[in-house]
Amino acid sequence: MTAPQIAAAGRAVPSRLARARDVLAFEWTKLRSVRSNYWTLLIAALVTLGVTAIVAQATASAPPPPGGPMNPLTSSFLGYGEYTVLPVTVLSVLTFTSEYASGLIRTTLTAVPQRRAVLAAKAAVTGTAALTAGELLAFACFLLTQAILSGHHHGLALSHPGALRAVLAAGVVLAACAVAGVGAGAVIRHTAGAIAAAVTMIYLLAVLCLVLPHPWNVRLGRFTLPVAAYQLVTVHPRPGLLPPGLSLLVLAGWPAAALLAAALVITRRDA
Amino acid sequence: MSPPPAVVIPVLAVAVAFAAWCLVDLARAGQVRYLPKWAWAVVICLSVPGGGLVYLIVGRAKPAAGVPPEAGVAEGAGMAAGGPLLAPPVPVSRVVIEVDQLTKRFGPVTAVDGLSFTVRPGHVTGFLGPNGAGKTTTMRVILGLDAPTSGRALVGGRRYQEIIRPLHVVGSLLDATAVHSGRTAWCHLLSVAHSNGIGRRRAVQVLEATGLAAVAGRRVGEFSLGMKQRLGIAAALLADPPVLIFDEPVNGLDAAGVRWLRQLFKAMAAEGRTVLVSSHLMSEIALTADHLIIIGRGGLLADTATGRFVSRTRQDVLVRSPRAGELAALLAARGAAVRPEGDDGLAVTGVAAPAIGDLAAGHGIAVHELVPRHGSLEQAYLDLTGESTDYRAMASAPEETAVP
Repeated sequence: MTAPQIAAAGRAVPSRLARARDVLAFEWTKLRSVRSNYWTLLIAALVTLGVTAIVAQATASAPPPPGGPMNPLTSSFLGYGEYTVLPVTVLSVLTFTSEYASGLIRTTLTAVPQRRAVLAAKAAVTGTAALTAGELLAFACFLLTQAILSGHHHGLALSHPGALRAVLAAGVVLAACAVAGVGAGAVIRHTAGAIAAAVTMIYLLAVLCLVLPHPWNVRLGRFTLPVAAYQLVTVHPRPGLLPPGLSLLVLAGWPAAALLAAALVITRRDA
Repeated sequence: MSPPPAVVIPVLAVAVAFAAWCLVDLARAGQVRYLPKWAWAVVICLSVPGGGLVYLIVGRAKPAAGVPPEAGVAEGAGMAAGGPLLAPPVPVSRVVIEVDQLTKRFGPVTAVDGLSFTVRPGHVTGFLGPNGAGKTTTMRVILGLDAPTSGRALVGGRRYQEIIRPLHVVGSLLDATAVHSGRTAWCHLLSVAHSNGIGRRRAVQVLEATGLAAVAGRRVGEFSLGMKQRLGIAAALLADPPVLIFDEPVNGLDAAGVRWLRQLFKAMAAEGRTVLVSSHLMSEIALTADHLIIIGRGGLLADTATGRFVSRTRQDVLVRSPRAGELAALLAARGAAVRPEGDDGLAVTGVAAPAIGDLAAGHGIAVHELVPRHGSLEQAYLDLTGESTDYRAMASAPEETAVP
């Protein structure tokens, strides 16, 4: 009837660490046990590598541009930026919205009623998985592109200044988009709406900024996620935009804002 | 510097595809040898294709006996045989559910209105009410899923949200269809077990107890409603909790499953657990519950022992006699309440059937029929909830007929 009896009902009250491990294991088991996640990731990886190879071939066979040296990294991540980032973001959105759609969220929140812990665990698990997949695929894209380009004598070694940082950043971009997707899913709860919001966040806002009149397209555009990502995933950051350090902050800011919004609403709403 | 692109692309594609296939296989495999799964995943990812080959040769293990999905008893065997009832290793603590002045509004609709009751350990408490009475809403508030507009619901003196590892205190099943259809039953149960620090072995136990061991490897999307109910029951029993809360648990269960569930509830209550089971069907709950909480339109209608509720029902004796008028006068003189029923019938309350027969015989009055009658629990329930039913069928004007 009172607190000591509750403790006796289970075991000894577990430590915070043990509880964190519980929730992480919960979310990880759920993430890894849906087969469609693997298929989506596999297809995304294959399509990305295919597109990357095509782009690299096209870059290699095209005549070198007259104005200055070209950026061999841009072509490395052209396929990655769309065919990996988009599917992974959608999967991240689904970690919440599929639970709301099926009602599984009620099982989840009954098992772990500390809702912000559930949110944090989903973000951590999805973000880590995306980071791992992103780094692997970013290196694969880079090596594939440079292998093709070096056959035409304008490849770029990983030891080139800024190259390693750029490739590592590509994985971080994927993790940021995934976490932003988790946040969007938690806030909006319906799959279609949440995907629309996530896509707006990671692509469309930048496109919107492009059509603004001149000083504003740069002033606002540099704070959008894809522009910040571009500044990180290149050897030569553009001078008019934010430097890589601030771009990293912007990149982290979007998922942080999404998670913050989710943390605010998730405890107030009925599940 | 590096090999020409014509060679690199297909080799890399094959290597990535092979790695992906190894990872998928790893995820689906029940068990692997020597290293935990995540370590194998790292090995595969870091050294494709060598790591993948190593995993395939030495890492894969055949699932051991007793571990689903391959091993286990035949479907339904556990339930049909009465099932092992999962005897608790330690004495069960006694936990009370208190609902105190609970009100829940959804916009203009008041689902629960100032509801108060207590659910005590050692009983199966039936939670009854017509559709839309607020049963599910009340249970959702108890489980911390909905926030009450005012009032509170406590489990063991605490709000549900404050309980750490709550599955060790409350096992619940609100909606059996609320599962991800792409996940296997085993993975669903395992994830829930992980969430509260419950081991694999226990998950296997409850799967066997609910008769699902044979189908544990199948995806939940292929399950019937009854199988989903069993899976939900398995999840509720995972931590062997002192409190069980079930919302309409017999929906979709077959006859053997329903009986198994009844026995389970009674056994759990006998061990001193608190069992709260909702239903909109009186006939179902009457067989199981020894205490009833009946609500209608969000308010409490009755909170009583099942036996006492039965005794509230109308009990009388039907007498048919060609000299009904004389007999009625005699009975009235004895202090009985007499109501004519049909041409030659009398509905008598206050005097028992043998006494009526003796009285008639003593005065030489022939009796053609002498039937003690009592209202069913169902009828008493309908009488009680009749005026509070939100969605009543147009044609149902319940006839005041008592069934013997």
